Amino acid sequence: MIIILSSALKLQLGGKKMDKLLIEKTESSPYVCFDAGKNFLIIQGESFPENAAKFYTPVLDWLHAYLQTIKQEEVVVEFEIIYFNSSTSKIFMNFFQMLDEAVATGKNITLNWRCNEENETAIECGEEFKEDIEYLPFNIVLFKGV
Amino acid sequence: MQFDLLHFHEGIKKDRIMFCYSGPISQSTIEGIGKTLRMNMEIEEAGFNVSQAVFSIFVEQMQNVLNYSAENLNWNKELDKELRAGILVISQEEENFAVYCGNLIYNSDVQQLEEKIEAIRALNKEELKQLYKKKRKEASEIESKGAGLGLIEMARKAGTPIEYKFTLVNDNYTFFSIKVTVRRKKDG
Repeated sequence: MIIILSSALKLQLGGKKMDKLLIEKTESSPYVCFDAGKNFLIIQGESFPENAAKFYTPVLDWLHAYLQTIKQEEVVVEFEIIYFNSSTSKIFMNFFQMLDEAVATGKNITLNWRCNEENETAIECGEEFKEDIEYLPFNIVLFKGV
Repeated sequence: MQFDLLHFHEGIKKDRIMFCYSGPISQSTIEGIGKTLRMNMEIEEAGFNVSQAVFSIFVEQMQNVLNYSAENLNWNKELDKELRAGILVISQEEENFAVYCGNLIYNSDVQQLEEKIEAIRALNKEELKQLYKKKRKEASEIESKGAGLGLIEMARKAGTPIEYKFTLVNDNYTFFSIKVTVRRKKDG
């Protein structure tokens, strides 16, 4: 009964309402909070899960669906990753390519790659991602302390 | 008591081994040892970036064991929780940190792995970066849990080329060992 009601509600909103994606962080996977209502998406923490492709499947699926729903509204995506392994790196590239394509078709998305000013590796990684995207505004934002 | 633990302990100290682990490796082993390793690197005053490099090599090596070691101890495939055997040693050698890792592989995989490592060893820093970026954009190999980027990642973090050795064990298996060195003082 509840299921029927909630899908009816979604229909009333023109099928555009997306659920918030919330994943709590673990020792090896980041905190993920994608809020379609606020057009604010954040990934924060460490990323070296056992199976990165599997961990990020719901994340990429959500993003894919979300990008279909947005128009000209301002969207901010924040990455604040202390360390990520090589298989995560591939997923992130894929993630940024999806955003890049969306921006190429006129969407208003900004990416903030946030890192501690002492984390040279994270800064370099941000710069390397930035080199490989074309349209997405990609800001490397440094902060002090934790 | 047959096994002389003190002798073993002294040997480890003499070789300036900070860490050694041998046996079943799971994702939680990696998380646990990784956490301790980071704390220990802080005590060693390695500096944040050197510490990150050692940690990164450690994770790539251990996850290679988890994904590819032929010594698969997991009896329940349904669980999707890998448990595979390997050995890890982290030591201090002169002014470097060395991360060693070993595991069994199938004899039939030796040639391909050797070619892969040799190709990486031949590249300089800039070439490694370009290869890394190229591979990162390619679609993943089917059935591969990793991204196939691990060896390149390690080579990029290392201060010297990756060292490795294959030792034939029997008709089926070869012992594969790899050594990746990180300079204590990071050079440009």
